[in-house]
Amino acid sequence: MRFAGRRVVGGRADGTVLAAEKPLSLLGGVDAATGAVLDPESPIRGERVGGRILAVPHGKGSTVGSYVLYALRKHGVAPAAILAAKAETILAVGAVISDVPMVDRIPVDALRTGDRVAVDADAGVAEAPDLVEKHVVTAFLEREGRVLVVRRSEKVGSFRGKWSGISGFLEGPDPEAHARREVEEETGITDVALLAAGPLVHGRGDDTVYAIHPFRFAAPRGDVRLDCENVEYRWVAPHEMAALDAVPKLEAAYRAILPGR
Amino acid sequence: MHLAADEQRMMREGTPAERLSMKILTTLGDVYGAERLIPIASAHVSGVSLKTLGEPGLAFLEEFAATAKVRVRTTVNPMGMDLDRAAEMGVPEAFVAAQRRIAAAYARIGAEPTFSCTPYLVGNRPLFGEHLAWAESSAVVFANAVLGARTNREGGPSALAAAVAGRTPEYGLHVAANRRATHAFDVRVPMRGYRWSLLGLHIGGIVGDGVPYVRGVTATEADLKWFGAALAAAGSVGMFHVEGGTPEWREAGADRLSGTAIAEEDLLATRDRYTTGTEPDAIGLGTPQLSADELRGVADLIEKHRPKPRVYVFTSRTARAEAGDAAKRIEALGHVVLVDTCLEVAPMELWAKTTATPSGKGAIYLPTLCGQKVVLEDLEELLRRFA
Repeated sequence: MRFAGRRVVGGRADGTVLAAEKPLSLLGGVDAATGAVLDPESPIRGERVGGRILAVPHGKGSTVGSYVLYALRKHGVAPAAILAAKAETILAVGAVISDVPMVDRIPVDALRTGDRVAVDADAGVAEAPDLVEKHVVTAFLEREGRVLVVRRSEKVGSFRGKWSGISGFLEGPDPEAHARREVEEETGITDVALLAAGPLVHGRGDDTVYAIHPFRFAAPRGDVRLDCENVEYRWVAPHEMAALDAVPKLEAAYRAILPGR
Repeated sequence: MHLAADEQRMMREGTPAERLSMKILTTLGDVYGAERLIPIASAHVSGVSLKTLGEPGLAFLEEFAATAKVRVRTTVNPMGMDLDRAAEMGVPEAFVAAQRRIAAAYARIGAEPTFSCTPYLVGNRPLFGEHLAWAESSAVVFANAVLGARTNREGGPSALAAAVAGRTPEYGLHVAANRRATHAFDVRVPMRGYRWSLLGLHIGGIVGDGVPYVRGVTATEADLKWFGAALAAAGSVGMFHVEGGTPEWREAGADRLSGTAIAEEDLLATRDRYTTGTEPDAIGLGTPQLSADELRGVADLIEKHRPKPRVYVFTSRTARAEAGDAAKRIEALGHVVLVDTCLEVAPMELWAKTTATPSGKGAIYLPTLCGQKVVLEDLEELLRRFA
């Protein structure tokens, strides 16, 4: 699949991903001579950044952290490219002075360490040949402050037994119309009212990147009648969603469409 | 981004340092959605002490300085030591040698050797409405809030690039709409002395990168220096307003904000949260560096209370020259007055394990940069308690 982002610093690089998962502090967090990650709070502590495609949400910490990237380049252990969710001063300036290609606005939490990626920073894209992108719609039905979640049956193709919103692979050009259709098929509830449609959220399962189109609907009264895709349902408070054994990014997709974001 | 003809020329035909500076500034401009570069009246650069610049930064700086000259007035942050006193204070020679190389590189590009985190007190005092590219978070917030100048919270490298290009991308706090208040606070307690530091720590922890608006206080410029430094260290704050007390409070649009009340418990809880030690073996005064007036006040209090732990006083060369008698009175009692450096970037770890300070910013950085336990307390109370 192709990740479309925004050029920060131009250039091209091929390599495998080192996924930082959390924001990374360069000053004190990465050894300038060896490229080893030292930050004790980082899940990739002990890994080396040299020659790899560093995928990181954003930088943090001291602004002189930019100079660490320059030193990594001098020592021949700079990353081959940087993919970020959100560029900020530390990483952007570091990429400029070390001439490391950089692209931001990439959903880096859909990338895993070891993924093969070809970065064309001039075009602002990253091509991951082993990954497949699938668009899905996820509808969250709400009633009296609670959200409907359903547990997927053994008959569905993926994430069997996991808790989910009302969801399905996107078909057709109109995600909202498709979400309404899924709601009707899977719950028997009609006449839902749209509360909000969210920005895309990316989740990852094996070699598939799910581009999730989230929706919130107000559900009228009436019983939920499940079809064969789900075996169980619950109305949960939003804060209970995190504790469910759920499909990837269920709670993140819900939070993405809450007001005030 | 749209670049003027002379900017395009600098990007194409400038020296390596000029081309790199333009690339840094246009990249940041694109990242943050600026449409153009704007001229700046001055730059203030951080990353001068060995502790914050590090060996990687020194290597960059020396290569950069070979082809760089500043286009605007440029002042620099404190070094890691008062080099006149290094041997006497037991600072290793390797540290001093590296620190001298950093100072020489900044001198080569034409920066003024102010070595101060209070540029606005040592001759680089911006005028209302001027655009700047300042690093050093405490100076940024002072320039914006107290003086009404306009600067983003630059990092060391971006301020350096702006100094060489004479420009900065127009976004963030350069734009009037982004200077409006985002949070309001109603202070219901009397404010004086180090309580401004506590208030800054408390509010900075709440607002993140927002713009706080404070009601119910009257403040001197010195009060706002300590408040702003703590605010900018505890949060990513670059701007604040004090109702009736700072130049842009009428434009802050705070009427639409309901205020969060600040009570005595909030300040006490803040003091306790940052107090990690009990018996100090040093008292550290600075962060930001003391003014000449503050130096005189400290000399009076030290003579009055005769504290037992050694007091390390950090100030600018300018303030010490102005209040030289006060500095002599402090040192006559066995304490030390250091210039060109400051509390959190000096090697306090060579001299102490627990440092007492009234500085909110000091309370944040002493543990991480100097390995200190901290006693955060009012200045006179400290001097009296540990006498």
